[in-house]
Amino acid sequence: MNFAALWIPRFALLALQRQESGLAGQPVAVVAGEGRKAVIVESSIEAEGTLGLAVPLATARCPGLQLREPNPAAEQEAQRLLVAAAFALSPRVESTARGCCTVDLQGADPAQTLAAMHRQVAELSDAGLPVRIGAGETPLLARFAAQRADPILIVEDRAAFLRELPLSLALPTPGQTEVLHGWGIKTLGGLTALAKGEIGRRLGPEGALLWDRAHGESPRVLRLMEPSRTFAADWAYDPPVEFIEPILFKLRRFAERVALELRSAGMVAATLALTLLLEDETEHYREFRLPEPGANVDSWLRVLQTHLDTLRLAERVAGVRLLALPARPVQRQDGLFETGLTDPHAFWENLARLSAVVGPHRVGTPVNLDTHAPDACVLERPFVTVSAPEPLPIHPEHGGLLRRFRPPWPIRVLCVEALPMALDGGVRGEIRARRGPFLLSGEWWKPGAWAVETWQVELAEGGLYQLSRDRAGWWLDGTLD
Amino acid sequence: MSYVELHARSAFSFLRGGSSPEDLVKVAARLAMPALALCDRNGVYGVVRQHTSAKGLGLRALVGCELTMVDDTVVPVLVATQAGYRQLCALLTTANLRAPKGEGRITWEELAAGNQGLLALTGDEEGPLRRAWRERGAAEAALAGAKLQEIFGPDRLFAELQRHLLPNEDDENNFIIDWARSAGVPLLATNGVRYALPAAGAVLDVFTCLRHHATLDQAGRLLSANRQAHLKSHAQMKALFADLPEAIENTARVAARLEFTLANLGYRFPDYPVPAGQDQDEFLRKVTYFGAHQRYGTTGGAVRRQLDRELDLIGTLRFAGYFLMIWDLCAYSRGRGILVQGRGSAANSAVCYSLGITAVDPIASKLLFERFLSEGRSDWPDIDLDFPSGDRREDVIQEVYRKYGRTGAAMTANVITYQGRITMREVGKVFGFPEDVLDRFSALYHHGDLPETLELKDQLKAAGVTGDDPRYGKLLETCRLMHGLPRHLGQHSGGMVLSHGNLADFVPIENAQMPNRSVIQWDKTDCEEMGIVKVDLLGLGMMAVLQDTLEICADRGQPVDLGALPKDDPETFRLIQEADTIGVFQIESRAQMATLPRMKPANFYDLAIEVAIIRPGPIQGEATNPYLDRRQGKAPVLYSDERLRPILERTLGIVLFQEQILRIAMELGGFSASEADELRRAIGFTRSPERLNRMEEKLGAGLLRNGVSEEASASIRKSLASFALYGFPESHAISFALLAYASAWLRTHRATAFYVGLINNQPMGFYSVATLVQDARRRGLKVLPVCIQQSEAGSQVIDDHSFRLGFRSVKGLRAPSIARLLAARGQSPFTSVQDFMRRTELGAPERRMLALAGALNSLAEHRRSALWQVEESGSSDPLFRITPAADEPTLSPLERMTHLERLQSDYAALGLTTGRHPMALMRPHLPDTVLAGELKNFRHGTRVKVAGSAITRQRPGTAKGFCFITLEDESGHTNVIVRPQMFEDYRLIINLETALVITGRLQNEDGVIHVMAEEIEAMPALGLPEQESHNYH
Repeated sequence: MNFAALWIPRFALLALQRQESGLAGQPVAVVAGEGRKAVIVESSIEAEGTLGLAVPLATARCPGLQLREPNPAAEQEAQRLLVAAAFALSPRVESTARGCCTVDLQGADPAQTLAAMHRQVAELSDAGLPVRIGAGETPLLARFAAQRADPILIVEDRAAFLRELPLSLALPTPGQTEVLHGWGIKTLGGLTALAKGEIGRRLGPEGALLWDRAHGESPRVLRLMEPSRTFAADWAYDPPVEFIEPILFKLRRFAERVALELRSAGMVAATLALTLLLEDETEHYREFRLPEPGANVDSWLRVLQTHLDTLRLAERVAGVRLLALPARPVQRQDGLFETGLTDPHAFWENLARLSAVVGPHRVGTPVNLDTHAPDACVLERPFVTVSAPEPLPIHPEHGGLLRRFRPPWPIRVLCVEALPMALDGGVRGEIRARRGPFLLSGEWWKPGAWAVETWQVELAEGGLYQLSRDRAGWWLDGTLD
Repeated sequence: MSYVELHARSAFSFLRGGSSPEDLVKVAARLAMPALALCDRNGVYGVVRQHTSAKGLGLRALVGCELTMVDDTVVPVLVATQAGYRQLCALLTTANLRAPKGEGRITWEELAAGNQGLLALTGDEEGPLRRAWRERGAAEAALAGAKLQEIFGPDRLFAELQRHLLPNEDDENNFIIDWARSAGVPLLATNGVRYALPAAGAVLDVFTCLRHHATLDQAGRLLSANRQAHLKSHAQMKALFADLPEAIENTARVAARLEFTLANLGYRFPDYPVPAGQDQDEFLRKVTYFGAHQRYGTTGGAVRRQLDRELDLIGTLRFAGYFLMIWDLCAYSRGRGILVQGRGSAANSAVCYSLGITAVDPIASKLLFERFLSEGRSDWPDIDLDFPSGDRREDVIQEVYRKYGRTGAAMTANVITYQGRITMREVGKVFGFPEDVLDRFSALYHHGDLPETLELKDQLKAAGVTGDDPRYGKLLETCRLMHGLPRHLGQHSGGMVLSHGNLADFVPIENAQMPNRSVIQWDKTDCEEMGIVKVDLLGLGMMAVLQDTLEICADRGQPVDLGALPKDDPETFRLIQEADTIGVFQIESRAQMATLPRMKPANFYDLAIEVAIIRPGPIQGEATNPYLDRRQGKAPVLYSDERLRPILERTLGIVLFQEQILRIAMELGGFSASEADELRRAIGFTRSPERLNRMEEKLGAGLLRNGVSEEASASIRKSLASFALYGFPESHAISFALLAYASAWLRTHRATAFYVGLINNQPMGFYSVATLVQDARRRGLKVLPVCIQQSEAGSQVIDDHSFRLGFRSVKGLRAPSIARLLAARGQSPFTSVQDFMRRTELGAPERRMLALAGALNSLAEHRRSALWQVEESGSSDPLFRITPAADEPTLSPLERMTHLERLQSDYAALGLTTGRHPMALMRPHLPDTVLAGELKNFRHGTRVKVAGSAITRQRPGTAKGFCFITLEDESGHTNVIVRPQMFEDYRLIINLETALVITGRLQNEDGVIHVMAEEIEAMPALGLPEQESHNYH
């Protein structure tokens, strides 16, 4: 038992199900590929028989099938949970692939390791990720074992184990699959029963490598990873949510992973920090000093739920973040190339202060949107670099510069034969001259279709203004210099 | 002076205009505009439609065009004179013929050399003037304007002003005004029209997205800033240009200068070169009588009277050259050994029969000549020629090009329009709907499937787009607006046009996608409207089958003369009556097969009726079942008016043919010959129902005037309406019946040659090769597999009872490889797999496919052994690569394939098996199912369960939403009927599953057997190979 592999079947699907509460017990399938080439790559038990089918055929065979594309954020979250579980078995962990970790068990006590494996199977299962663990003399053999485990399998006799395994486990290319299918080779044993040299003569060096994989390969050095040093998780809701249930659902998932990471690192949480990102881009932040530092998911959730039950927010929640502050600080030596500076960009600090004064949605670099809509721009986070100035336009803007009122002023306009004649409101007076109308419209395919009629007017008593009219009525956009 | 819109683009600018020419004309007429100039991009694609629709509305249809120049600027030109029109066509033709389709550009030198009779505008934002102003400033713009002035002179260039109520457009217009005044160029207002009404602006936005491969959300400022580019009234335009009244007045002045309309196109059909001292009429008479002597033996009495009558009329109508040209083409084909046969109403003509254009004797068949030609006829007669599809037909087409020159002949266009599924798919994509929704929609609604049983909104709902989606309403509306607009231009399957002199003087010619083909910018209806002669040179798969079969028979010493086939062969009719007609021309479809046991055709004319009766016309006119009931004696033969008896006697009192309608119109409705001809044209004109409605009313009035009862009149009018939906002329049915009978006779008496002919000409007909092979096996023929030592490129006859599949049946085996293989084998037979590999040097996929098909079995122990050996030189790595140097058979360590594996390999490599039908292997797993061949033993109404590969699915427009599925098993075919609601419920299963298990009630009446489906499920996946199917055609 030199190596163990932790493998989660239907990983993309389970990762999604962990993040979407409504998917449990439903026929769900994960789709990969574009357009007509899209096929079902993973499916829930309720959608049995759809694997490998094109989307239309799958929906024909399984009415009510819910289709999802892989969600990288959900998979990253699930992968971190899997990694945390792997660290509970050994400090030498490799994140081998999506849904698969390999650990180096050389020198470990077999009995203790087996007990730890059972604990991790139970823990991950509770967290919605039923893991399978295999162990063998090479990393690949361990992985094959995991793929056949229920839930734990330790390979003692390599040859006997490999003989009946399906060929697909060795990941042949489509071209190799076609040839081997023609030869009637369906198992790893079937392939290794043929002489490696003969395979090489026919399928080349790639074929020889496939033969090696079918034979379980030789031991290799794992690409070891560091355990997590931050114990946090976050999620963005699209669309934002109004009720507490989806937030608690997500917090449970976070807590499961963060707690496992803490435990694997031999730590506990002393304080929890909860941040709710609201739809209006403000935040609700609250720290909870735990009565007793620990890594128990249920007790964390009790604290969080008590708070959320009493919380009343004016805006919907667009995101959630949970941070666990460990009970003992991380003791580590700075790396050779790490900077000693905490933050070299004082600019950002100033910006943050500014945001605190005027509100974060009112700070940034204005960028025009690609639309005919007037005054359509967004504030983007300032660029780090300043781009070169654009060449001067062939026909520079001229005429009156518009100083916009933000927001524009509602105004009453007296019209005669569709021509504005006088204003009444924040600005009053008879109109002496006018230019217009200028008509702009767009986004007709959306509920937010807009159409605006614009006039530039001069009042008899002086003053140049821009007026506009939309569905809501007349507006005074601003003054013209 | 009233405003005239002189710069309007239609949807024939392909993705640059949002309305049809007809809609533009309709709206312009409603706005009381006296004239409208259509300026489509790089063509005059829409001008005939504009011209035709403007005729009845008192609007002058002016011709213009936007010319794309080499620098990508766009110059709008207007045609003032006929010479100008010819210049325009020449400019477009020259540019298009030297470039790939759609990429033709005109050089400034060409425009300078050929602009007589054309006026020009400075153009819109893509025009040289405005574009230069925007991109390079006023000075450069003035230079661009000066260049236009130099080309068009002082009085043929106009400074175009457009006001779309956009901010900042005044700057640009002010420049144009200043420049025009300083350069002495008159101002001209246009609205740069891109759609008839503002609502169609949505279509233009969608087109813009399609052109830029963007969604609406991504397109940003590529989309229109507002919806002002629509047709505007005089008052609206006058108000917009209140400060520049001369710009409005100039539109009327310019329109007055545009003398040219399509009414004076000046087209002439080419003269046929005749021997010195004779004119075309005399020469036609001479060759006709020469042919008649051969056809009839003697030309006295009725034959002479008919020929003289026809020749006199042809002379009067000045059509002799046309007949001679067709005769010449037929003679050319026969000289090259290419089968040719005229179809359609030409078979009503004794002259055509005598000239060898048609194969039906109209005198013996008592066919109505007026259906083909009459005194009142103004347009050219319609002679369609059928040739064997493929290279032989292409030979004839190229002969026409050789004879009349590259600019004297061209194919007619075929306008592909936005319809159902394709509209939804493209619009859906632009609206940003996900691919999987669009795929699902496409899977639900197959091409050719009847969409009318569900509203588009319900189709969308089934595909997962509901009213909750905020884009839903606009999606529906946009699809509706786009329906019927041109999407792209293809070429007609066989329609060619010719002209005296240069065809490109009358319509621009451009390159087709196919090499060595050119195509005009008008479709066949446009050509008919403009009086341009079209000859249909159609490729018919069955003609190729017949020709190949005859050649095989001749090679085997069993020659067959098609003209001398016995017309009453009992064995042939027995098989026809039993609906044993797979592969037979016209009567092999499911619907035909379901009728044959009721119809029981017993002679040649019955076959002609059979061909005609299963058509949308008779079915919708409710003629099919009454005729069959009368034929079976289940209903009496009645005539609603005794005067109909002589006309309808042959069809038992039912109107089945167009000729009968015309005779009724003339004999009972009081129609003159020219009125009858107008009626004939109305029946054939599918673009507008109004013309037919007018004729229907006229016929009704005539019938009543002549004492025909209301009831009889209504019945006749109903028949007329249904004939607009593809009714057959009797002559056409007889022509097709000739081919049907010939193919049925050959299938009966020269079966191996016929099946080989069919297989070698695939794809064609209703059934896949797999089905044809199983059909041949059921008829006791032995089908031998592909063999590396025995097979030829195509399939070949071995003897009267067996044939062998050819190398072309092997998937992925390319023609050059086959040639190399045959050449190598021709030197000496292959001695081993290694020898085969060394001497052919085929690629690994091709070698693998041959081994998989079992074609190498004669060189290897078994298929697996061959598969093992063909991979030996597969490695590209020199370390592993070996060159098979000697015949050293390598022993395969692989096991033989099982029966199921061999079957799967057959389908993987060939798409068929020469062995037992795959369903025979599945049968033990389907214990309750009944074989197709046993259904006849069950009583009507019995509940049965059937299973098989779904080889056809059909939902014809005449079937009111019913779906028909043909299941194939090891004993034959089962026809299943699915009710409309059930079809909607199981639409995806039916469309996507390759094999089905269906439970339902048996219908067994008059030897016609169906299963009315009650339960449908996919067949369990037990390794049954996927069989090719033929759906919704």
